[in-house]
Amino acid sequence: MPREIALADALVPGLLLIYLGCLLVLWLIDTIIGRYGLYRYVWHPSLFRVAVFFLLFGAAGLLLYP
Amino acid sequence: MSAVPTELASWRHPPWLREFAVEEGHAWIFVLKSLLAFYLAAWLTMVFQLEQPATTMITVAIVMHPQSGTVLAKSFYRALGTCTGSLFGVLLMAAFPQQRELFLLSMSIWVALCAGGAVLYRNFTSYGFVLAGYTAFIVVLPAIDHPTAVFDSAVARVSEVMLGIIVSGLVSDVVLPMRLRDLLRRISREHYQHFIDFARGSLGGAIPRADMEKAHLRFVRAAVQIEDLRSSVIFEDPEVRARSSRMQLLNLRYMAAATSFQSLHHLINRLQRSNHPRTAAALIKLYAPIGEALSPAPTEKPIPRLLATRLEACEAKLPALAAELREDLRQDPNLLLEFDSGTTLVRRFAAELRDFTSLEASLRETQGVAGGSVERVDFKRANDYASPLIAIVRTFFTMATLSIFWIETGWTFGLSALLLATVFSGLLATSPSPLVATANTWVAYAVGLVAAYFVVFELMPGSDGFVMLILVTAPLLALGPYLTTRNATLPGVGAGYSLGFAYILALKNPMVYAPERFLNDSIAALFGLMMSGAAFMIIPTVIGTQWLRRRQLVQLRRQVVFAATAPMDGILYRFESVNRDLYQQIVQFTRPGSEESRVLFAWALAVHDGGRAVIELRQDMLHEGLPPPVRESMQHAVNALADLYDAPDSVRWTAADSAVDQAITLTTQTLPQARASCQPALADLLQLRTALRDDESALAPYIVKTAEIAHAP
Repeated sequence: MPREIALADALVPGLLLIYLGCLLVLWLIDTIIGRYGLYRYVWHPSLFRVAVFFLLFGAAGLLLYP
Repeated sequence: MSAVPTELASWRHPPWLREFAVEEGHAWIFVLKSLLAFYLAAWLTMVFQLEQPATTMITVAIVMHPQSGTVLAKSFYRALGTCTGSLFGVLLMAAFPQQRELFLLSMSIWVALCAGGAVLYRNFTSYGFVLAGYTAFIVVLPAIDHPTAVFDSAVARVSEVMLGIIVSGLVSDVVLPMRLRDLLRRISREHYQHFIDFARGSLGGAIPRADMEKAHLRFVRAAVQIEDLRSSVIFEDPEVRARSSRMQLLNLRYMAAATSFQSLHHLINRLQRSNHPRTAAALIKLYAPIGEALSPAPTEKPIPRLLATRLEACEAKLPALAAELREDLRQDPNLLLEFDSGTTLVRRFAAELRDFTSLEASLRETQGVAGGSVERVDFKRANDYASPLIAIVRTFFTMATLSIFWIETGWTFGLSALLLATVFSGLLATSPSPLVATANTWVAYAVGLVAAYFVVFELMPGSDGFVMLILVTAPLLALGPYLTTRNATLPGVGAGYSLGFAYILALKNPMVYAPERFLNDSIAALFGLMMSGAAFMIIPTVIGTQWLRRRQLVQLRRQVVFAATAPMDGILYRFESVNRDLYQQIVQFTRPGSEESRVLFAWALAVHDGGRAVIELRQDMLHEGLPPPVRESMQHAVNALADLYDAPDSVRWTAADSAVDQAITLTTQTLPQARASCQPALADLLQLRTALRDDESALAPYIVKTAEIAHAP
């Protein structure tokens, strides 16, 4: 994946797009977990959410920019 | 004997001390979280090598709030506002790189429109508008003398602002979060309990008017408060988000049940006053099973599910009981009519109460989302376009005056003044007493400046490294968040102090020490703040004034016109929610116990009563079996009522009264041929007549007495 992507002639870092994509995925996961009330098995829901985001973003970033 | 030790214990740990300790604990947790967010944001900005850590810190100062749900909600709208604002700033810069007059004119219009939006919308949407104006300014500010750099400047500012938003959202959500969800749950349970107790306790049907007024106020507050909380908790908690539409439906059922209850109470009251005590007594007897259903044996736990089943059982008993009571009143057809309309009300109330409790039960019993979807309903707000318009005009003149002043004098720091005026004319436009708020903010801002001066020029030159930076700035910075937790008693002080401190601290890496910039910037900022205060003096705010209250009262009255003319789809929720929102807005500024508050309450009741009956009537008119001439006469009555509430006078009252009367006569005549379609409509018409002829209602001054005598039994 290119390090910089031109959006309407403005160079945008590729990582930013991945970041936004990960936010979207996180939101999806969050909604699904909330829908089925699974957060009651988690000690600290917001910490859990942050951790999931770090995992997603870290994995995507490291896989796409080795 | 046992009393002594408890007394001793309460003496050693008096309740006020415990309360004080809890409050202080919350305040200090918030201070620690704010400091953490401040330094984390500053550190990250420096790590990412962004230009101005100060922008990030100012953002944190604006966004941090003691409760976590509100930070996330704020952040969401703030991010939206930031993106819009910066985009507009860049566009404007591209459009007028050389024409500063046109540029400043467009900028003034933009900021004015944003301030108008901030007044028009409530809650955090309002915040987004303030920030759209402010970001547009902050983006072009450093680039105003070299337009070619605007894009880089915009990117840097947006990154800094976004970083501030993310960090403060993260810190307040993860570190010792304070959940709004718990507050929402507690408050909605309290209101539920209060309503059930009230419905149970008013068996006799005789509640003094003052108590009824208080109860009404409480019902209204409850509905608006729950909606406010719900709309920010959905940002905090995915579970609440998933249940959101159910909670809105619960609120609707709550409002509908409260209205029916009040109509019923009103009817019984009127019957007692107008020498029909037997009918009133019969209705109270009919109501008794509901009261019994609401008071289960003390051995059983009064959970909503139990109440819902008991109410369902009681509902089945009502028709038989009604028929039995009806037998006793058979000799007087007029009384019978009143009784029938009361019966419909009691049954409607029972059904609504059953729906309400069973929904509450299903909300309490299920975790996550129960299967099946519910009707989507939306809480509508009542907006008045006068105050946003005034805010737009005022902000435009402030900005234009400052711009002209800046251009004419060539003042180097005019931009700082403009920036501060932008922020505060938006932020304070929603305040009912902007002058006091401006004065508070001004003083706090000045104190923040002095504190920052002391830190920057006395302490910081001797320090080295990030830890030392924290050590020298933290003690005085901590004052800001602490004052924010005292916002109820000292409005605007915390925000002013934090902003002033962060603005003058102007952290940079490496740090720049410029005493002359400090002086110029402080003078400009205080001048800008003063200008926005002066604008509030010249064009005063209308929020909370007599004039606006009168306008809103007219709007409240026209709700009946809305009920009579709006399309039927989702009309009930719109009607109920706008009513409450309006009442809440007016009642904030009326003195309790005054003549004005009495008039307001009378109108609110009349509108609730009349509007609801009109809606029910319109619903029953949709019945296919209704003969066309009857439907026509009903439509005529609905129109006459709308006319009456649009501009009440005695001519219109007479017209409405005779139209309703005619419809009743016609319906009664056709009743034997089409019982199924006419019976419910007839009850609504009777209720409308009752509301019209009530000599204690707000319509009383327009009642023409001869009509009353002609039809009196």
